[in-house]
Amino acid sequence: MNIAGPDFIKGLAFLGAGLAMGLGAIGPGVGEGFAAGKACEAIGRKPEEAGLLTRTMLVGQAVSESTGIYSLVVALLLLFVV
Amino acid sequence: MLNTATYISASSFLGAALAIGFGAIGAAVGEGYAAGLANQALSFRPEKSGDVLKNMLVGQAIAESAAIFALVVAILLLFSTPQPKTVLIAWAAIGAGLSMGLSAIGSGVGAGLPAGSACVGIVRQPQNANKVLTTMLIGSAVCQTPAIFGMVIAFLLLFLDFSNMPVYPGWAALLGAGLATGLAAGGPGVGNGLTSREAVTGVARNPEAGTETNRVMLIGLSVGQSTAIYGFLISLLLVFTGLEKSTSLSDSFRLLGAGLSSGFGGIGPGVGLGVVAAYACKWVARRPEATGILTRTMLVGMAVTESTSIYALIVALLLVIVF
Amino acid sequence: MEEISHIPQITLNLLGFNLVFNIETIVMTWIVMGILITFGFLATRKIAFVPNPFQVVGELLVSSFYDLTKDALGEDMVKKYFPLICSLFMFLLLSDWLGIIPMLSEPTKDLNTPLSLGIMGFCIAHYSGIKVKGIKQYVKGYCEPIIFMAPLNLIGELAKVISISFRLFGNIMGGAIIILVVSHLVYSLILPPLLVFFFGLFVGTIQAFVFTMLTLVYISLQVK
Repeated sequence: MNIAGPDFIKGLAFLGAGLAMGLGAIGPGVGEGFAAGKACEAIGRKPEEAGLLTRTMLVGQAVSESTGIYSLVVALLLLFVV
Repeated sequence: MLNTATYISASSFLGAALAIGFGAIGAAVGEGYAAGLANQALSFRPEKSGDVLKNMLVGQAIAESAAIFALVVAILLLFSTPQPKTVLIAWAAIGAGLSMGLSAIGSGVGAGLPAGSACVGIVRQPQNANKVLTTMLIGSAVCQTPAIFGMVIAFLLLFLDFSNMPVYPGWAALLGAGLATGLAAGGPGVGNGLTSREAVTGVARNPEAGTETNRVMLIGLSVGQSTAIYGFLISLLLVFTGLEKSTSLSDSFRLLGAGLSSGFGGIGPGVGLGVVAAYACKWVARRPEATGILTRTMLVGMAVTESTSIYALIVALLLVIVF
Repeated sequence: MEEISHIPQITLNLLGFNLVFNIETIVMTWIVMGILITFGFLATRKIAFVPNPFQVVGELLVSSFYDLTKDALGEDMVKKYFPLICSLFMFLLLSDWLGIIPMLSEPTKDLNTPLSLGIMGFCIAHYSGIKVKGIKQYVKGYCEPIIFMAPLNLIGELAKVISISFRLFGNIMGGAIIILVVSHLVYSLILPPLLVFFFGLFVGTIQAFVFTMLTLVYISLQVK
């Protein structure tokens, strides 16, 4: 294989983008899942409060998502800018 | 250097080792969990040992099936002697081993979880044994689907003719295809197991809610497999897309990066989706009249949890198609 | 083993466009349609109080799916969407079971069938959503909970189509590939029929039910 300077950089940048987004998706997946699960439990206990409970769940999940978005930003930077 | 036939032999052996090495992990853990809970159940009521033992063995057999798929692929790799037409067959062998081996981990663990809780449930309420057994069978069997996706990709890699694919960057495409499905099937396997476990416990406590619980469990299991499906999609794209010959490192590594992104990106959300469906099933069993709102909340929660695996899918698609 | 990638096709050249027809899938779909129409005719020919066997099966299917649709959509919309749901399930169930008969193969083994049914369900759900909620409310729905989520919500809707189509395709084609490979490797009379029963009857029924239920749930999410 041809391993020259700029091509080497681009190749490893692609690999890095894949690793960044891939590994970065693990944490938010588990965390948001736990949040949604407990929301289902709370709605099971009190179905009449469904609106409030769903809103709280969505806000909590949006905050958990933040590290996933950092990973996405880094991956896109590696793809398009490097 | 070594010639093509030697590469192919060596990689087939490596692929066989990876397939059965990884594939043996999950089933053993799952079956051990089932056996442990069966003993705990027997400590409550030793006179039910016949029923509990039968239940435990059936559940363990289903958990074993993922490892048996891995054994089949390993034996195929050990004893097949393909025509040494292209060295891509060597990379395909490694990809097939990774795909089958890694995907069997999650399904093995996942199928053992409902088997264990079925044993405990039967002992607590022996008159509902049939309903509990039915839910356990459906849950465990659907839990094997990610391992089936892994086996399908392994068979495609073993038996398709790759003479027309260029060696560079074809090697990365085949390896990436194996990694994408193999890794991505691990999370949904465990997540489906968590869901089935709660559904079986719920049916054991409240058998009148059996129909609704089974329905919500099936929806939860199927949507929970979405991340394995995204990995499967990327694998199919990598195997079947037309590649142009190019010896640059970036073209090879972008395909490998696509496989890694989609593969790893399926693990976390898979487990998370399973946790959502598990709590939903548990509370549908306790309060069947709230099934509608619970199902809707479960689906909304699952849609948001899935979002990071969709980011990973988008990055993978960008790498394969756009660059 | 080359049958895995071999698809019988006919290519016609019409007005400069290349039209490709997958002949095996089309013929199998016609067979499924023929069987369903014959079943419908036989079940409703003489509706008597003491029913013939076809009428019993038909009443069982119709009543269970009517209850299912009423649970999800509510009393007022059930009559509009129920025929779609019931016929979708019957078509998918028979398509997945067709592989058991020798010489025939499942039309859902080809990606075109599940993908077109998935896109059809997507279009129906969103068209009904726009009609019921009005276009302003529909677009606002994408901006929940924050406006930055709008492109992600849009991609999430497309991901729903991909996941239900590929789930059905992956399960059915996967089963067909496994049966093909095992039959090539093992000269046995017991193992392939067992696999055919597992993948065709059990997995096929579950996947048909899951596809129908998810389409129903996606319609009810848009319409409510």
